[in-house]
Amino acid sequence: MGTLWDFLLKNSRWFLFLLYVVVSCMMLFDSNPYQHYVWMTSAGRVTSAIYGIAANVTSYFHLHDINEDLQRRTADLELEVINLRRQLRAVNERVYADSIARDSIMQPFDFIIAHVISNSVSRSHNYITIEKGRLDSIRPEMGVIDQNGVVGIVNVVGDHSARVISLLNPKMRLSCKVKGRDYFGSLVWDGRNPSEAVLEEMPRHERFRKGDTIVTSGYSAVFPEGIPVGTIISHEKEHDDNFYALRIKLLTDFSTLSTVRVIANDMRPELDAISAGEENDNRYNP
Amino acid sequence: MTKTALQFTLLYIVLALAQAIVFNNVCLFGVAVPFVFIYVIIRLPMTLAVNWVLTIAFTLGLGVDIFSDTQGMNSLACTLLAMARRPILHLYFPREDELTMPEPSIRSLGPEIYGRYLFTMVLFYCTAIFLIEAFSLFDPLRLMLRIICSTFLTFLLLLGLDSVMSRRS
Repeated sequence: MGTLWDFLLKNSRWFLFLLYVVVSCMMLFDSNPYQHYVWMTSAGRVTSAIYGIAANVTSYFHLHDINEDLQRRTADLELEVINLRRQLRAVNERVYADSIARDSIMQPFDFIIAHVISNSVSRSHNYITIEKGRLDSIRPEMGVIDQNGVVGIVNVVGDHSARVISLLNPKMRLSCKVKGRDYFGSLVWDGRNPSEAVLEEMPRHERFRKGDTIVTSGYSAVFPEGIPVGTIISHEKEHDDNFYALRIKLLTDFSTLSTVRVIANDMRPELDAISAGEENDNRYNP
Repeated sequence: MTKTALQFTLLYIVLALAQAIVFNNVCLFGVAVPFVFIYVIIRLPMTLAVNWVLTIAFTLGLGVDIFSDTQGMNSLACTLLAMARRPILHLYFPREDELTMPEPSIRSLGPEIYGRYLFTMVLFYCTAIFLIEAFSLFDPLRLMLRIICSTFLTFLLLLGLDSVMSRRS
């Protein structure tokens, strides 16, 4: 017994070492994440108390960012006030001059302001839900923008709410062009980064510079021409050598979306009728 | 002796908290993570019984683990580091009896040997921790990059900490 005790005592460092290694490995390879003791995690009472104190201190570090956010929000609200005032004036004018027919060519577009009630940026197909619907005269395929740029296109409309296909959705393709030029391509999200998208099918002979602004082309009835979408970050060749693909930094911050404007196009039925007519022509006169 | 014990207890608490609150949130270029708390293990007196060193290292690692929700990773790496401490020092300084002070420091070892000792300890720790981490997520190139970058970052921080500590004492 004495020799055993001596042996244990003499090699105690190795036994202790082994004990600690085994305990560590047991914790390390414990495969069931729900059976951890709560005091062994950051949710424990002591741990969370210390983190609470630290957060109390570090929350002051973010005041600058929070201040900036609030200022941006104030600017948004100011913009909204201006918008509402304009709408109010328009309504007043309409009431005042009810008998005069509205000039639909001079002012074909109208805005409906809506709040975002659900939004995602992290999935591969992102949708936005807004709190206005059919009863607020929102229809499918209306364009949606915010104060920075294009947001998406209305997809499904309920009575009091509507689902919008976000620009961050590969199902959506948006006809765009470089501001001040006439060549256009189609913008599509590649699913990687919620602040970037790709403008495909730009002709190769055209020269582009970093930082050039991308705007909507106006070749559809959804968006009027010239609504900002993003700026060029870089360009890369497509597999088909005749075209460039431009990487675009989106102007809209999808992660902080709160108030959007839905574009109502008064000329839309007319334009649709013309398109339908064209199709019919093609069908009958090949 | 009591003064040294008190100093190390203070260092233990301060560095564990600093790691949990500040340095765990640092990740330079997505690869370099500083492990400042291992300074306690590096500086423990060589005369201290190995059992104590092991226990101190294990509890230190366990504390950091609890804070950062990395079950057992840091405690295992710390235990390994505590065991490897003496052999690593012997690599550069075989005559342990000639130490003027029991603690490994710039004053007792000289800047060159201490620098090598510190670097090897940090490298050992970073290699251990990232290898343990690699059990769950293996990417050899990224693993190498993480080990190298984290070693250099931790080494530089510990040198800075060292200069602050030595000026104070």
